[in-house]
Amino acid sequence: MTPPVFDVQAFEAEIRPLLTVGKGREAEALIRPLIAGGAGPVAVWALLAQALRVQGRVQEARPIQEMLVGALPGHVSTRFDLSETLLLLGEFERGWREYSHRYGLAHTTRIERKVQRPRWDGRAIPGRTLLIHDEQGYGDTFQFMRMVRWAKARSQATVVLEINHETAALAERMGGFDALTVRGQIPPPFDLHCEMMSLPHAMGLTLEDLPGSPMPYLSGSPERRTVWRDRLSPYPGLKVAFLWAGRPTHFNDANRSMTLEQLQPLAQDGVTFFSIQKGPTEQQALTPPPGMTVVSLSPQIADFEDTAAILCEVDLLISIDSSPVHLAGALGRPAWVLLPLLPDWRWLQHRTDSPWYPSVRLFRQRAWGRWDQVVDDVASALAVEARAHRDGLQQERAPIFPNAEQPVKVRRLG
Amino acid sequence: MNNPAPTGLSIDQALIEANAHWNAGQADQAERLCQHVLAIWPGQSDALHLMGLMAHAYGNLDIAIDHLRRACQAPRVQAIYLSNLAEMCRQKGLLEEAEVAARRAVTMDATMVAGWNNLGIILQEAGKLEESLSCLERVVGLRPDYAEAHSNLGNTLKRLGRLQQARVHYVRALQLAPAYAEAMSNLSHLLNDLGEPDEAMAAARRAIDTNPRLPDAYINAAAVEIGRDRHIEALRWIDALLSFAPLHVGALGVRATALRQLDRLDEALADARRAVAAAPDDGETQNILGEVLQAQNKLTDALAAFDRAAQPSGFASEKALINRGILLMEQGDRGGAEATFETVLARSPRSVAAWFNFADLHRFEPGDPRISAMEALVAQDGVEGQADRTALHFALGKAWLDAGDAERAFDHLDHGNRRKRATVSYDAARTERWIGEIAAAFPANRLQRPAADTAGSDLPVFVLGMPRSGTTLVEQILASHPHVFGAGELPALQEVINAAGLYPAFATTVTLEGEAALGRQYLDRIRPLATHHRRVIDKMPSNFLFAGLIHRMLPEARILHVRRDPVDTCLSCYTKLFTREQQFAYDLTELGKFYRAYDRLMDHWRAVLPADRFLEVRYEDIVGDIDTEARRMVAFCGLDWNAACLEFHRTERIIRTAILNQVRQPLHADSVGRWRPYAQHLMPLLDALGIDPALPAPDDVAGGVSKARTKRGPRLVAG
Repeated sequence: MTPPVFDVQAFEAEIRPLLTVGKGREAEALIRPLIAGGAGPVAVWALLAQALRVQGRVQEARPIQEMLVGALPGHVSTRFDLSETLLLLGEFERGWREYSHRYGLAHTTRIERKVQRPRWDGRAIPGRTLLIHDEQGYGDTFQFMRMVRWAKARSQATVVLEINHETAALAERMGGFDALTVRGQIPPPFDLHCEMMSLPHAMGLTLEDLPGSPMPYLSGSPERRTVWRDRLSPYPGLKVAFLWAGRPTHFNDANRSMTLEQLQPLAQDGVTFFSIQKGPTEQQALTPPPGMTVVSLSPQIADFEDTAAILCEVDLLISIDSSPVHLAGALGRPAWVLLPLLPDWRWLQHRTDSPWYPSVRLFRQRAWGRWDQVVDDVASALAVEARAHRDGLQQERAPIFPNAEQPVKVRRLG
Repeated sequence: MNNPAPTGLSIDQALIEANAHWNAGQADQAERLCQHVLAIWPGQSDALHLMGLMAHAYGNLDIAIDHLRRACQAPRVQAIYLSNLAEMCRQKGLLEEAEVAARRAVTMDATMVAGWNNLGIILQEAGKLEESLSCLERVVGLRPDYAEAHSNLGNTLKRLGRLQQARVHYVRALQLAPAYAEAMSNLSHLLNDLGEPDEAMAAARRAIDTNPRLPDAYINAAAVEIGRDRHIEALRWIDALLSFAPLHVGALGVRATALRQLDRLDEALADARRAVAAAPDDGETQNILGEVLQAQNKLTDALAAFDRAAQPSGFASEKALINRGILLMEQGDRGGAEATFETVLARSPRSVAAWFNFADLHRFEPGDPRISAMEALVAQDGVEGQADRTALHFALGKAWLDAGDAERAFDHLDHGNRRKRATVSYDAARTERWIGEIAAAFPANRLQRPAADTAGSDLPVFVLGMPRSGTTLVEQILASHPHVFGAGELPALQEVINAAGLYPAFATTVTLEGEAALGRQYLDRIRPLATHHRRVIDKMPSNFLFAGLIHRMLPEARILHVRRDPVDTCLSCYTKLFTREQQFAYDLTELGKFYRAYDRLMDHWRAVLPADRFLEVRYEDIVGDIDTEARRMVAFCGLDWNAACLEFHRTERIIRTAILNQVRQPLHADSVGRWRPYAQHLMPLLDALGIDPALPAPDDVAGGVSKARTKRGPRLVAG
């Protein structure tokens, strides 16, 4: 007599695998009938939002995610998902606010630093000391280091920057703070603190504030640059540093990483590729695809000082979404980034430029998993670049146009 | 990570470094240094203290308290360690240990702000409000920019009933710390008490937005919705809270309350029991359990729960005593109830709940000092909670009527009703129109069609009419019969009808089978109550709106309409603050108009319903000649006469409506024709009813259905 009870968990188990391989359309077709009446279990709406996102229909996912947050305001992972959608759409104000829940997730609560001083809220605090500390990803650190100088100006405080050991030398040359300390050591006494990725929320960062000044804000070490200039000088043609895979433990790595094999169409005369790939796939550079001239620099790269110096001495970086891209952007060096259909929020949507980095150009997937199309786009652009180099022209970087099919829509925020 | 083992370090140096690491949130390094110190010097106070702070920060309260207790055993313990132990004990609910530790702390260091602050909130939770106040005032004196202290002080002031002062401190806290979610949540609770539910809801939403994991903010949001009878909305907030804190005791308690208000008593009981299981020593939770048990008529269990709730010190005990008094009142133990309320008042002279219930029970004489005591509470510097002030005006109205001062009585009643009216949204014209549509939806030919046969449809007897017209009295008389169960005011019929569609529109198209199905749904709801009884009385007065549909759904059901003099009925409504919303009752004109609409609808039902299923009795006739009227009603119900019906005021039953305290007494004639001395205060009502007070009482205001009418006059006796 009783109607069958809908098993949400079984349904999720059926849908999730589709979403991880980008079958958003198929998932959506299974989900829609369940909410045809305009009402349905929360978990089903959450699946629909993700099904829309993996199809790149982020704008449509947003009202669903906002509704979910309205219904379950204490469900922090739902808020974090919304923050990624909002930031991806360039809706910075609420996006940064929701992003502040990033340490409330099941896997992040234990790694939040429980600093025993209040968090800075963006107000002026002359005479006091503010500790700004970086968080996990190197890319995040490179991207948000620019805000240290702005935070010092806004707070009028004595600013102590605490940073990971690996990027400390770059930070030191950047300046904009009063003292530098390395993570794990005892910082000087301080009154307030702020995580580097909380600075945008505290300071109300908007798209119009980007890229900000000075730009570039990082520089390579002169000594290392000399070493690497000498090391690279024997090689002819356009010098392109490249890498194809990110840190395998990154939650979205399957989506963002490629293999060297897939980059084979980039091979062309007049271009030397320098692999700066680190990690388990760096050996692929020793057996490059046919026709591709690859020199592996990986074994000689000791730290980010080497990476920065290489980026300063080559003509171009070609990379998937990984920390060297941010380093190149912060150094003001040309970099081309190959992005999946649903990229990280910091690359926004539907544009080939990045407001964060004027020297960075974006090549986006047009369909889930179709790196081949992206590589073809990059190969064409690279041919233009190589020809110009061969002709000895002082090549101006291609002006940045919005993608012809998708005009740029940047919403101005108050 | 890159720290070598700190073997070469002196103890002092290791402690300095450990503290510096912990300040910067570097727990691993700090812990390693503490362990180093404790290996050399087991029981070292500073190291234990720091270990305790870290355990607390990572949510391990028991381990933290264990470390702190040991740290505080050192001969040279620092005051701040005692203060921190005190706060952790408070969080664990160990108020006595907390108070001892906090007092030791401030004795050692009388200038320690944190110590006084912690002592202040411990005393507040222990119900020692005046002491709490002086601690917290000292704290904001020492440190005027201490946002948390302002919020804590606000809480103590609020519990002292000094609401406007509390507001000042919450606002100050938020000026000092604009993103202070706890202060927003506290402000929300206060605004609700101050009668600003929209602002209260906005503050709760802001608090949740700022800190989505702040349970109190959800509970306060739910409290706002419960306060304005939006129980479904309240459940939504609580479910949102339980989604991330599934065993939150406060949330379970509030959900139990909302479910109880929705008459979903089994679910309410399950939640209340889960809450009690999680926090058996929590008085508030025991109270909530008692309220649910009381609603289920499990009186012994309810009393036991109230007694347990009264045990721990703090706020729950006052509430528990009042609940106990109300329960005794419902059982007919007027003396016991009155004594209970007096106990509360001796302890808490500003307890409005105690005054309100006491006034209902007590018959005031002129010059009673307790009237002056209540007057003082509604004066300028009296109680500040808006719902409390409204309740006091009603209590004073009752007291002055008792004491024979109509002028003052109506002054208070007018105030109380105006205040209550301001909190409800009621569209009088729309209601009148709707009642007219109901009559039109049930023309005679629709009602006289043959109905579907519904087995057992003679089980219910619907006693209906205006509120305060005598429905409780009628139920009490009939329920004294051994074959009758008095179920009280059941929401069941209204729920069944509301679920079927928009009333009365759907009733014009529903099929015979549809009507029968509704009837069966209703019977399914009441059959469990019937046990061995042949009749179940549902005395929800507002079922008068559904009399025609009842006859279609349940062709054998009996409908008993209780009538009373219109002005007496409305006057009685006007003097009462109802627990269930009677939104038309708080304005004399609206009340009169509603009565007229009701009267017209009853004229219609009388014309179209068969006499063997629809009986009218007059309250005045029952008062005048209970014997005749009781026999008539019992016969109408198809039962043999039973003399117990005349001893109705001895029946051990629970009564839960505003009329309660009259039914427990033998009949008084002073409630007949009661309004005449007050005519000058009732002009808007009389105008709306079309009654000229200058004319003598018409022989039959209500329309002449009574055979016993002529006996009325001579039998009237003074109270």
